[in-house]
Amino acid sequence: MNNTFQTVYSNHNYILIAFSIFLLLFFPLCIVSEFLFLQPFVVLVVYPETLLSFLLIIILSIFSALAVSMNIYRVKLIKETKKIGSSIIGTIIGASAGACSCGPIAFSIITTFGAAGSIASSFLTIYEIPIRLSSIGILMGVIFVTTKSLSRECKIKSEFS
Amino acid sequence: MANTKVIAVGVAAVILIVAVTAYASSYMSDFDNVQRSSQDEGQTIALTDVPVLGSKNAGVTIVEIGDYQCPACKLWFDNTRQEIIENYIDTGKANLVFIDMPFIGNDSVSAAEATYCANDQGMYWDYHIKLYQFQQHENDGWANIDRLSAIAFDLGLDTEKFNECMISKKYFSQISFNKQKASTDFGANSTPTFIIVNTSGTAERLIGPHPYSTFEKVLDSLL
Repeated sequence: MNNTFQTVYSNHNYILIAFSIFLLLFFPLCIVSEFLFLQPFVVLVVYPETLLSFLLIIILSIFSALAVSMNIYRVKLIKETKKIGSSIIGTIIGASAGACSCGPIAFSIITTFGAAGSIASSFLTIYEIPIRLSSIGILMGVIFVTTKSLSRECKIKSEFS
Repeated sequence: MANTKVIAVGVAAVILIVAVTAYASSYMSDFDNVQRSSQDEGQTIALTDVPVLGSKNAGVTIVEIGDYQCPACKLWFDNTRQEIIENYIDTGKANLVFIDMPFIGNDSVSAAEATYCANDQGMYWDYHIKLYQFQQHENDGWANIDRLSAIAFDLGLDTEKFNECMISKKYFSQISFNKQKASTDFGANSTPTFIIVNTSGTAERLIGPHPYSTFEKVLDSLL
């Protein structure tokens, strides 16, 4: 597993890709989940009740960054895009949870779809932690499978070359 | 075979789109009706009817726009509100007004009505505090009529009077008016939203459960 990470991230472009994905996910999630306020001052606030949710956002962003960047490497290596879809699904599931049910996104959904929107928004808020955990599970699975297949494919490639 | 599958999926998609559109348009027409009825009665209802916490002559007014089922509002209530009360409201520097914007579910409307029914017996803010202390998950029934009545009993209110007020929907128009004011006049599209305004009319808007440090800076700049 370590070898695979070394192989992928020895190319600094993939560190940059992973870091960019992390930032692209972490900051919007922090804003949507109301941890980061940009106005009137930039403030990051994590209340004791929301600490777990904040930690899960960090973990989710890190795993998404790893899964997507490793799969980009894999796509370049063998031109197969199957697993990149799973990592994106995992990321989307995790990102959709926790968009606060009283925030502007939920407000638009509820005022447009009424009771159905209200139920959907409540579901995503109430089950925020389990949804985020399951998406982290999906991403862990994707990373595990990707590292396994990468080490196998790299071995085959090096044997043929 | 493949064609049949495509047709079946197509038909299902069309049915789904029609159903969602029909539901959304029926909901929006209900929303319009509520808005119109409150506009009709708007002449007799004003924001001056809204209870004020603190001195009416304070230099700054904090307008909180909230929903009793909103978890972010509870977060603010639990972590920030008390310090503001101690340092700005109890000292007479600022006062606080709560404008209802109940949109999370039907129980949000009932909870907002209940605070006004409690206000009839002089316990608006006590009831307001109890609601946030007792808040549970959204739309899970914690704010249904029976629970609201139990909270009134817990506070020592005359429950017969309270229940009569709730059943008669005495404050439905007031809540509709507040909701309309919150979204149109104050431009709120999420809760909690705060409008902090001083006597010369300078205002600052805060969206979300900001920490005390943000309020401190804004309040000090407006005083």
